[in-house]
Amino acid sequence: MADFKLFIDGEYVDSASGETFTTTDPATEQPIGEVAKADKEDAKRAIQAARTAFDDGPWKGLSGEERAGYLDKMAELLTANAERFAEAEARDSGGTIKKATFADVPGAAGALQWFARMARERPDRQDLEGSPFPPSENYVRYEPYGVCTGIVPFNFPLLMACWKLGPALAAGNTSVLKPASYTSVTALMLGEIAQEAGLPNGVLNVIAGPGGTAGEELASNEMVDKVAFTGSTEVGRRIMQLASGTIKPVTLELGGKSANIVLDDADLDIAAAAVLFGTFFHNGQVCESGTRAIVHKSVYDEFLSLLVDRAGKIVIGSQLDFNSDLGPMVSRAQADTVRRYVEIGREEVGEPICGGSEPEGLADGLVTENFYRPTIFAGVDNESRIAQEEIFGPVLCVIPFETDDEAIAIANKSIYGLGGGVQSGNVARAQAIADRLETGTVWINDYHMISPERPFGGYKQSGIGRELGTAGFEIYRQAKHVHTNPSTGRDGYMHFAALSGNI
Amino acid sequence: MLITASARAAEVVAEMATRRSGTLTVTIGTGCCESTAPFLYEDFLPGTDMEPVGSVGDVVIWAPEYLRRLYPGDQGPRIDVADELGESLSVETELGVRLVLRGSGLDSTGEPEECAVPSATVRGPAVSRPVVGSIPPELQGLRLR
Repeated sequence: MADFKLFIDGEYVDSASGETFTTTDPATEQPIGEVAKADKEDAKRAIQAARTAFDDGPWKGLSGEERAGYLDKMAELLTANAERFAEAEARDSGGTIKKATFADVPGAAGALQWFARMARERPDRQDLEGSPFPPSENYVRYEPYGVCTGIVPFNFPLLMACWKLGPALAAGNTSVLKPASYTSVTALMLGEIAQEAGLPNGVLNVIAGPGGTAGEELASNEMVDKVAFTGSTEVGRRIMQLASGTIKPVTLELGGKSANIVLDDADLDIAAAAVLFGTFFHNGQVCESGTRAIVHKSVYDEFLSLLVDRAGKIVIGSQLDFNSDLGPMVSRAQADTVRRYVEIGREEVGEPICGGSEPEGLADGLVTENFYRPTIFAGVDNESRIAQEEIFGPVLCVIPFETDDEAIAIANKSIYGLGGGVQSGNVARAQAIADRLETGTVWINDYHMISPERPFGGYKQSGIGRELGTAGFEIYRQAKHVHTNPSTGRDGYMHFAALSGNI
Repeated sequence: MLITASARAAEVVAEMATRRSGTLTVTIGTGCCESTAPFLYEDFLPGTDMEPVGSVGDVVIWAPEYLRRLYPGDQGPRIDVADELGESLSVETELGVRLVLRGSGLDSTGEPEECAVPSATVRGPAVSRPVVGSIPPELQGLRLR
């Protein structure tokens, strides 16, 4: 019997097979509950529900104002249940309760509100002025694609679920979401919110299960019209292939190895905080983490001292304690990956200047092997593996530079281009550097500041398309141009001149 | 770059070959929550910069140019199996396992041949720990919009 069921066609249901999997608290490895395990048949069931809701239900016929009303209601309900969602998110993902409370839940509600605003403010119809073919009259209708699927990673399951369902529903589509298996709980809980908000059945569906079966179906099924995915670059490539069968548009937000450039005129006190926050927030399990700090040689030694001193003050412990800055990694497998890369770093660079091991003195009951200390390697060659491969853990590479051109070249020497930072006391200089960085977002004297109101996405192998902002709304609807010739009689038509007056 | 595979990885791939009718391919890919990892796909089209770097039984392993450059020579990592939930579209996740990379390409002699995840993890009834403390005042007024 599943504690957390699939949400399909407005109801919570068991998987067709009746199978479940255990979701655990990564801090203790103790079970949280059983989750219904969707397979291909469940994915098809959810897609069919979304298809029927789109084709035969009321949703796509609602006005933008009406769709916005549902999203605003969902945001209101999410906010009203913020403590419950935050606790579930922290318990299931290992992210701290502090992060869940100030970022995940309000960020998810904020995304729903933003896309509600988009539905209200960006009309479904736009009359076009003038005419290339007088006396024709022209307008563009912005129409939903139909069934939009969203595959969500483990690091921000609730937030990213709302990044995907928000614009899809706002634009008049229906949605099927699949959160990562490690962290399915809060996305499944969104079904309760949808029910209470009165969302028509089938407009939102949420399933949990292995990517190799359920996820593959969401990307390839012929009833799906658009796919959005956040996760690894390799899976993004696979999704493009699966979606190509019926030419589905894809939105991909993929990997990163972002550079955070610290110039010689930076306020080092603030810059150190920006680099530490930019790297170690959520244990580095953030796609746009600034895991390469590119630091000017003239301030290099002083800056390293600041980093080491402060990294040692980051509090590691239970993710359910508001005093903890970092909790466990999402899983033992992810912690193993971090250990593997730290060993690679030791071979490539030498001993890290801090971290490099599990923390000591954790409270009883916490599984030490699932935690990892903030780790900093100094004097890293940008060509090394730890500087080129995304570790998705609390590992910072510090790379020295001498000129701005060199810093830009190092930053851009990556297959990725998702985020980045420039820390400087000279905004004009920092912006000149930002203009030359091949990346979707640059933070100047800051990091990780992502808002639903601003576009987010990647250059190069970090993705296709943008989420959030107005771009993140428009990508969920397509333009239909309607041309009307109001003429009567043969004089108003060019057909006769273009072919023959005899036609 | 030369990638090898453990006996258990070969068993998992062989099992999937019986479950899938298409051609199986292993590709070594990167990024985000998977980090650098092996992916087992059915009817996958390798990218133009990919080349074979080994095999698991009859199944060819492909890797892109930039990864081959990072792992030169024949001391590449080894593909193994973790008994954990899989995040990717890798098809072996339907078995409840995930192919993983072990070893750094340097010296993996000290690493276990099989999955490092202890099978003795206790799976008792659901355990609920209490939340401790409250949100810092500096973050209370933050409004994400």
